[in-house]
Amino acid sequence: MVNIENKGNLVINGMGSSGGGTFKKVLINGKGTVHGDVDCYDFSINGTGRVVGNVKGEHGKINGSGDIEGSIDFDRFTIDGTGGIRGNVKVNKIAISGKGRIGGSLKGEEIKIRGNATIGEDCEAEEFKGEGGFKIGGLLNADVIDISIAGECSAKEIGGQSIKVKKGIFRFLNNLFKSVYPVSLNTEIIEADEIEIEYTKAKMVRGKNINIGPDCEIDVVEYTGTFTQDPSAKIKEVIKI
Amino acid sequence: MLCYTVFVERSRLEMSEELLSKKELLEVTGISYGQLYRWKRKDLIPEDWFIRKSTFTGQETFFPKERILERIDKIQKMKENLSLDELAEMFSPSVGELNLSKKELVNRGLASETTINLYLEHSKESPEQFHFEGILVVYIVEKLLQSGDISLDEAKMVIQVSNDYFAKEKQSYGELIIARKLGVSTCLIVPSTTNLVIEQGTKLIVNLAYADEIEELRTKLL
Repeated sequence: MVNIENKGNLVINGMGSSGGGTFKKVLINGKGTVHGDVDCYDFSINGTGRVVGNVKGEHGKINGSGDIEGSIDFDRFTIDGTGGIRGNVKVNKIAISGKGRIGGSLKGEEIKIRGNATIGEDCEAEEFKGEGGFKIGGLLNADVIDISIAGECSAKEIGGQSIKVKKGIFRFLNNLFKSVYPVSLNTEIIEADEIEIEYTKAKMVRGKNINIGPDCEIDVVEYTGTFTQDPSAKIKEVIKI
Repeated sequence: MLCYTVFVERSRLEMSEELLSKKELLEVTGISYGQLYRWKRKDLIPEDWFIRKSTFTGQETFFPKERILERIDKIQKMKENLSLDELAEMFSPSVGELNLSKKELVNRGLASETTINLYLEHSKESPEQFHFEGILVVYIVEKLLQSGDISLDEAKMVIQVSNDYFAKEKQSYGELIIARKLGVSTCLIVPSTTNLVIEQGTKLIVNLAYADEIEELRTKLL
């Protein structure tokens, strides 16, 4: 990275536009637009700011409905609100609250999602924590996957070392509004060594030790170690390998 | 005169290769889902080895049998001494940012001084530092000369062809072929030799994949 210590700041308040470049701090308040790639230490968008290019930095934040029309590479990144990134995201740690959108893939060490995030392609992490409802267009691949569903969650495929899916803490409210707000996790296939799931619909669940909890609908379960199931779970076929 | 026909059909290539399902892979190698997914995340297993196919039980993932078994074997043997990131670096076909001087090449036992001088004589530039592709060519030439498979003149051909090839933009590394007929030899580089057909009476002296050599070289550079 270029030495950013002696670089200036880029601050846009209100309506304005600027080119990209290397900065210490980039702050867009209001409706600013940056055209070009940005390399900086601190990056934040408050409001409806837009970057037409790729962004690289240490700490980044989107509050509001800011948009980055490119890919990002950060150590830490936070999305609060309805902000989005059209391209791919590479981070160490990311937290998405609200309705964050990522068009491409998301790769990180630690991913925390609270709310209704959408990820267009694959999502990879060492640790994935999801609360609320999220949608992953590709494979969710993480060593430890911990999901509390409150709403509708979906991923094309899920794989990792241990996968835990629980109904979220708003259990009481969810029961009340069950008909209005369906609570479920939909996926084609789940593969992991340790699997413990609730409220999940899947065609195939494969692993070593599997526990299928309440309100699951699974076509085929294949296990090599232990298997337990809740009486309310609907499973068409269980195969011990 | 030498005659060759090279057919490269990716889809046919994949079909002709024996496949192994994910389930079978876990059974045969004894690895866990956690390990397999971790290695995928760390790019130790290339994305295009995950071949998705519809079967009567639904979607299944398959792997090219020979390549995946060899790779898993390597990972299991080396993960004791190397971190996953170092392993990923090793398996990555992209060329690393590595430069070595002539002396370092000799000291590390990658090539003899004679080979390096031969390389320098037949290259347009004579660099102080060898970049990765330069090291690769020297390494391959040294190996071929040592094995006695090729003559000095053929070594010169390998240097010239490789240098021309590496000067071009390319998506992947191909395979090197040296063929000989009635004492006349030629050297060429093709994307793949899977469907290579050669005229009768022509002897294929050398056929090596750059990707394999890169992997081998990387283990020696670590």
